[in-house]
Amino acid sequence: MVIVVIGSVNLLKFLFHEILQVRMDWHWTLIVVLVQLAQGNGGNGVDPTPDLYEPSWVYKCEPEEGCHRSERTKPTAANSSFMVFDSLDVCRTVCGHFGGLWPRPVTAVLSTQTVKMHPNFLRFTLLDAPVETSEILVEMTHVITANLLAECNGNVTEMVATPVIVNIAVKSPSLELTWDTDEQYLLDVENTVDNIVVHISAETVYGARHALESFTQLIAPEFSNQYQCGLRIVTGAKIRDRPVYKHRGLVLDTSRNFIPMVDIKRTIDGMAATKMNVFHWHVTDSQSFPLESRRVPQFTKYGAYSANEIYSTEEVRESIRYAQIRGIRVVIEIDSPAHAGNGWQWGKEYGFGDLAVCVNARPWRHLCIEPPCGQLNPANPAMYRVLRDLYRDIAELVPKPALFHVGGDEVYLGCWNSSEEIVSYMKNKGFDTDIEGFIRLWAEFHAKALQIWDEETMAVGGQQQHVLIWSSELTQPNRIENYLDKNRYVIEVWEPLSSPLLIQLLRMGYKTISIPKDIWYLDHGFWGKTKYSNWRRMYEHVLPRDPNVLGGEVAMWSEYVDAQALDTRVWPRAAAVGERLWSDPRGGGGGFAGAEPRLQRLRARLRARGLRPDAVSPEWCAQHDARCY
Amino acid sequence: MKWCGEAVGRGSPAYFARVARLRRALLLLAAAACTAAALLYWRQQSDDRATRPLHSLYTGVEPEWTWVCRNERCERLPAAETSSLQSLPTCNMLCASTQLWPQPTGPVSLATAAVPVRASAFTLHIVTSPSGHVSDHLEDAFSLFLEDLKALEKNTISDKRSDIGPAHEVLVRISVNGSSDVRMLIDTDESYKLSLRPKRNTLVADITAHSFCGARHGLETLSQLIWLDPYAGSLLALEAATVEDAPRFRYRGLLLDTARNYFPVGEIVRTIDAMAACKLNTFHWHISDSQSFPLRLNSAPQLAQHGAYGPGAVYTTEEVRAIVRRARLRGIRVLIEVDAPAHVGRAWSWGPQAGLGQLAYCVEVEPWSAYCGEPPCGQLNPRNPHVYELLERIYAEIIQLTGVDDIFHLGGDEVSERCWSQYFNDTDPMDLWLDFTQRAMHVLERANGGKAPEMTLLWSSRLTRSPYLERLDTKKFGIQVWGASRWPESRAVLDAGFRSVISHVDVWYLDCGFGSWRDSSDGHCGPYRSWQQIYEHRPWVDESVGGMGQVGDGWRVEGGEACQWSEQLAAGGLDARVWPRTAALAERLWSDRAEGAAADVYLRLDTQRARLMARGVRAAPLWPRWCTHNPHACL
Repeated sequence: MVIVVIGSVNLLKFLFHEILQVRMDWHWTLIVVLVQLAQGNGGNGVDPTPDLYEPSWVYKCEPEEGCHRSERTKPTAANSSFMVFDSLDVCRTVCGHFGGLWPRPVTAVLSTQTVKMHPNFLRFTLLDAPVETSEILVEMTHVITANLLAECNGNVTEMVATPVIVNIAVKSPSLELTWDTDEQYLLDVENTVDNIVVHISAETVYGARHALESFTQLIAPEFSNQYQCGLRIVTGAKIRDRPVYKHRGLVLDTSRNFIPMVDIKRTIDGMAATKMNVFHWHVTDSQSFPLESRRVPQFTKYGAYSANEIYSTEEVRESIRYAQIRGIRVVIEIDSPAHAGNGWQWGKEYGFGDLAVCVNARPWRHLCIEPPCGQLNPANPAMYRVLRDLYRDIAELVPKPALFHVGGDEVYLGCWNSSEEIVSYMKNKGFDTDIEGFIRLWAEFHAKALQIWDEETMAVGGQQQHVLIWSSELTQPNRIENYLDKNRYVIEVWEPLSSPLLIQLLRMGYKTISIPKDIWYLDHGFWGKTKYSNWRRMYEHVLPRDPNVLGGEVAMWSEYVDAQALDTRVWPRAAAVGERLWSDPRGGGGGFAGAEPRLQRLRARLRARGLRPDAVSPEWCAQHDARCY
Repeated sequence: MKWCGEAVGRGSPAYFARVARLRRALLLLAAAACTAAALLYWRQQSDDRATRPLHSLYTGVEPEWTWVCRNERCERLPAAETSSLQSLPTCNMLCASTQLWPQPTGPVSLATAAVPVRASAFTLHIVTSPSGHVSDHLEDAFSLFLEDLKALEKNTISDKRSDIGPAHEVLVRISVNGSSDVRMLIDTDESYKLSLRPKRNTLVADITAHSFCGARHGLETLSQLIWLDPYAGSLLALEAATVEDAPRFRYRGLLLDTARNYFPVGEIVRTIDAMAACKLNTFHWHISDSQSFPLRLNSAPQLAQHGAYGPGAVYTTEEVRAIVRRARLRGIRVLIEVDAPAHVGRAWSWGPQAGLGQLAYCVEVEPWSAYCGEPPCGQLNPRNPHVYELLERIYAEIIQLTGVDDIFHLGGDEVSERCWSQYFNDTDPMDLWLDFTQRAMHVLERANGGKAPEMTLLWSSRLTRSPYLERLDTKKFGIQVWGASRWPESRAVLDAGFRSVISHVDVWYLDCGFGSWRDSSDGHCGPYRSWQQIYEHRPWVDESVGGMGQVGDGWRVEGGEACQWSEQLAAGGLDARVWPRTAALAERLWSDRAEGAAADVYLRLDTQRARLMARGVRAAPLWPRWCTHNPHACL
C-alpha cells in the first residue's frame, strides 16, 4: 500500500509537470481521482492504473477534412506539429481555405500560424478617413473590442504585449446606408518582427465595418481552464471581399408577441456577425401596436399590450443608431391596409369615425387570416390624416435616405365588403363592388399612402425613395402594372418556391426581394402543415442572379415566439441565409461539408456574444469535421 | 367566512372599488375634456391634414387594460371604460376555470374571492409525519415552495396602482399518514387532499397525504392557487378551496439526452423544477451514448475520461447528487440510463491499454452507416467478462447515487447485428444480444444487493418482438415502447404481460421535425408535434385516433414519457423545445381527461406557461399575446 502511494505521488508529480507543459483545455480542475486504489478488486478485476481521469484532447487540422479531436499524446519533438491545437476554436480559425470566416469571403489567403494577442494592445488608426467618418468608425472599433473580450467571457487573462495595429482607410465621407452603398473591403494581416499590422481599406465606413468583423473572425479564444483564457490571431491574411446581394435582411415581427429591446439588439448583434444589413422591423400588426407615435399616442394607448411593452421614440432612435454602427439599416414596416386593428380602434371615441373596420370581429374566420381581424378604413379621410401623422413621426425618426415598408399583404376583401361605409364610398367613386372593384380600392389606398409618405419624407428634407411592399393579389402579373409603379415600389415576394411570381415580376422589370415562405420563414414547422427548414435547407436555396433581385430576407413571425424562444428559432439558421446572400457560394466548396465547420465556429462566436443559437449536430460532429455525413 | 367573501370578494374588484370610483370620475372628466378639445381641434383642421400634433392633448396616457368576467369569460376592456380595475391573472383565477395544471382528478371546489398574501408570511406546521426523515423533507420542500413564491413576488412591477389592504398570514398544515420513505417509488401513493379556508386574518391550508411525494404535490397545487396581481403589486390567494387529487398513471416521465449534446447542471435543475410544476415524477436521464459519456463515476472514471466532450462537459458525482437531492424534494425520481450494449463509444476504448481486452467493438468505425444508425458507432463486447464487471460497478454506483432501486433502465435499443457478426460468426447476433441482456440483468441484481428491481426497463427493439420477447421474464422486465403508435409492438408487449412505458415516436418525441443534421439522410423523424397533438394522444383508449386498437385485459400501462433527444439541441435551446409541450403530456398522464385540447385546456396551459416563466423557464408561447389578453377569442 505504501508503495502504491509513493508510486502515485510520483505519478502525480509527473502529471502535474505535464499540466504545466501542456496547455490544457478549459474547465481544468486539478482533481486527481485515486479512488480505485484502495478497492480490493481481486486478481482479474478491473484495476485501472492510476491516471488523471480528466478528458483532454487536442485538435488536428486534417487537410480537406477539417479539425479532428484526438488523444493528447506525450509531447515529443516528433509529434509537435503546428497543425495540432489545444483549442478547437483556434484549429477552426486556421484550418481550411476560409478558416473560421462566416460568411465566406470572395477570396482569402490565411496563414496557418497564430500568435497570442491582447485587446489592451489593439490599436486602431484612422489612417486615411474623411473626418465625417471618424466618429462612427471609432464606435465600430469599440464593438469589435467588446466582441473580442466576449470570446474570453469578458476577461482575457493571458497578457501579451504584442501590439496589433489596425490601419483603417476609408474613401467616402458618406454615412448613408442604402442599396448603393459600396460594402466591399480589403483586409491584410501582416506579421512583422515585433507586432501585427492589419490594413483595412474600403470605400465606405460600412465596408470598413465588414472588414473589422472579418478581422475578429481571424481571432479565436484558447481556454487553459475555466478562468484562464487567451486570444490567438492568425499571423497573415489577405482577404478581398464584397457581397453578391445588396439587400440581406431579417424580418422580426414584434406585434404578435412583444420582443423587448434588449432581445432586438441581440438579434442585431447576430446579424452583424453574419454581415446582414437590413433589419426589417414588422413592428405593428392587428394584434398590437407597440411603436410609440409622438403625434398619435392613441396607437400605443389602445394598441400596446401594456405600458411596459412599448418601443419609445427614444429607444427606436437608439436602436437605429445601434444597428447603423453594425452596418445594418432599420426598415420599419407599418403593415397596411390589412394587418391593422388594435391601436386603430379609438376613432369613434374621438369623433374621427372608424379608422379601421372589423377590428377584433368575431367570428373572425371570414374576415381575416388569423384573429384578431382589422383593416384600415379607406373610406374615412380621418384615417389618412392619422396615417400622415404616423408617417411624419417615422420620417423624422429614420435616417435619410429613408427606406420604408408599407406592408400591403393579405387584404381580406370580405372585411371591407362587410362595411356599409366602405361599400357606399366605392359606389360614390364608381367602383364596382366585385373583386376588381375592391382591388381598385386597395390600390387607391396604396397610392394615397405613398403620396403621404412622399410628402412627409420631403417635409423633413428627404427625397422620394423606393418603398417596399409585400407581394399580394395586387402584385399579380395581370394587375400590378395598373396599380404599382415599378419605379417606386420594390416587391418583397414571399410566395412559395413553386410560384412563378418572382420570375414574372423580374421579366416585367420590377425590383424584388425574395423571401420564399416555404424555405426562409423561421416560424414554419411549428404550426399547421408548414415544414421546418433547417440551416441546410435554408442554405441550399439560391436566388436568381438578376440585377433586379436586390436580395433576400429571412422572416421570424412571432405568433409562436417571444423573447423566450427567439434566439433558438433564429440562430444559426438566419446565418445560413446570411452567407447565401453575401457569398452565394456555388459548386465546389459551396456544399455543406465546406460550410459546416465554419458554421460551427460561427455558432461558438454567437454564443460568446451572448446569443443562444440552436445546435446543428451532436457535439461529436463539431469535434470531428466531415465525419457526420 | 361570509365577511371575507363580502369584503374581499367577488371579489378582489371590490378591493379596488373605491380607488376605481375616483379613477372613474377623473377619467370621465378627462375623456369629456379630450372629446371637447378633439372636436374643436377637428373643426379647425376640417379640410386640411392635421398639422398640430394630437400628442399635446393626450400626453402621459398609458395603455391600461382591465378584465371583467362575463359569461364565464374574461374580457379585456380599456380601464377607462369600467368602474373596476382588475388584472388578467386575477380575472382568470376568479372566473370559471380552475387554472390548475394538471387538472385534479378528484372533486375540486374553489372560492371566487381572493385575499392578499406575502411570501414572507407563510408558516409550516407538520401535524403528523411518519418519520423525522419525512419531516425534514417536508421542511425543505416547503422552503422550495416559498422560494417559488418569492420568485413570483419579485416580478412585481414597482408601480403599485391599487391598495388591497393588509396581507393575510398563511398557515400550512401538513399531515402525512403512511410511508416513511421519502422517495418516489413505483408504488408510492401520490394522492393528496388540500383544503384552504380563512380563519380570521389567517388562511389555513391543510394538506393530507400518504407519502412525502403526495404532500409535495399538495404544496404544488397550493402554489397554483396563489398568483401575482400586477396591479396590486402583491400576491393574491384564493380565500377558500378544496381539492382531492391522485394521478391516473404512476410513471410520468421526461427523457433528456445529455450525450449527443451536453447540458450544464443548471439547465437540468431548471428542467426538474419545471417538471415538478407539472407533477411529472420521472427524470429519465439518458446520460451516455456513442457520442459522449459525461458521467464521471468513481467506480469507472475512465469512461468520462475517454468519453466526455471535454473537461467542461462532465457531471461529477457531487453534481449528480445535487440534482438527485433537488429532484427528491420535487417528488421526482432520477432514472439514469447508461445505454448498452449498443449506443456506446470511445468511452469504452481503453480496455486494451488497461489489460482488459476489447470492451467495445466498431467504435467510431467507418463507414459508420454499415454499423449503426448515426455516427459514431460502437457496441459493447458481449463476450468480455470485464464488460459485465464494469457494468455491475456502474449499476451499483448509479443506484447508490440516485437512490432509485425499484426501477432501472438498461437501454438496449438499436443493436447492429452486423457489427457483432464480424467478430462472432459462430453465434446468431440475436442470441448474443439476448444473452447480453440476461447477463446485464444478472449483474444488475448483484449491484442491487442481490435483488432484481421491481421493473427493469428496456427500449423496445427486435429483442422485444417474437420470438425473443417470450424469452424475457415479464416479472423482471418492463418495455419502454418507442415505436410508432400504430405499430403492432405496443400491443404485443402489453398482450404478453409486460409492464410498459409509452413513448411513441410519432407523438411523444420532442426532437422530431427539425430536418436532418447529416447529408445522407432525408430527415430525422418528423413532423414536429404540437402540444395539442401530444395532449390528445391516448393510446390506451379504444377509440383513440392513433391508438393501439382494442384495449386488452390486464394490460399494464405504467405511464408515458416524452423524449428529448439532443442531436439538434444544446444548452440555451432546451426550455423552448421542451416547454410547454411536456406540460401537455403531464396533464395527459396525471388527469387523462377524455376531452382533447378544449378551450379550457388552452387557457389553463397558458396560465401554466406563465408559472413556468416565473420559475425562470424559457417556455415557448402558445399563441400571440393578444390571445392571452382575450381568452376564447382565438379559439
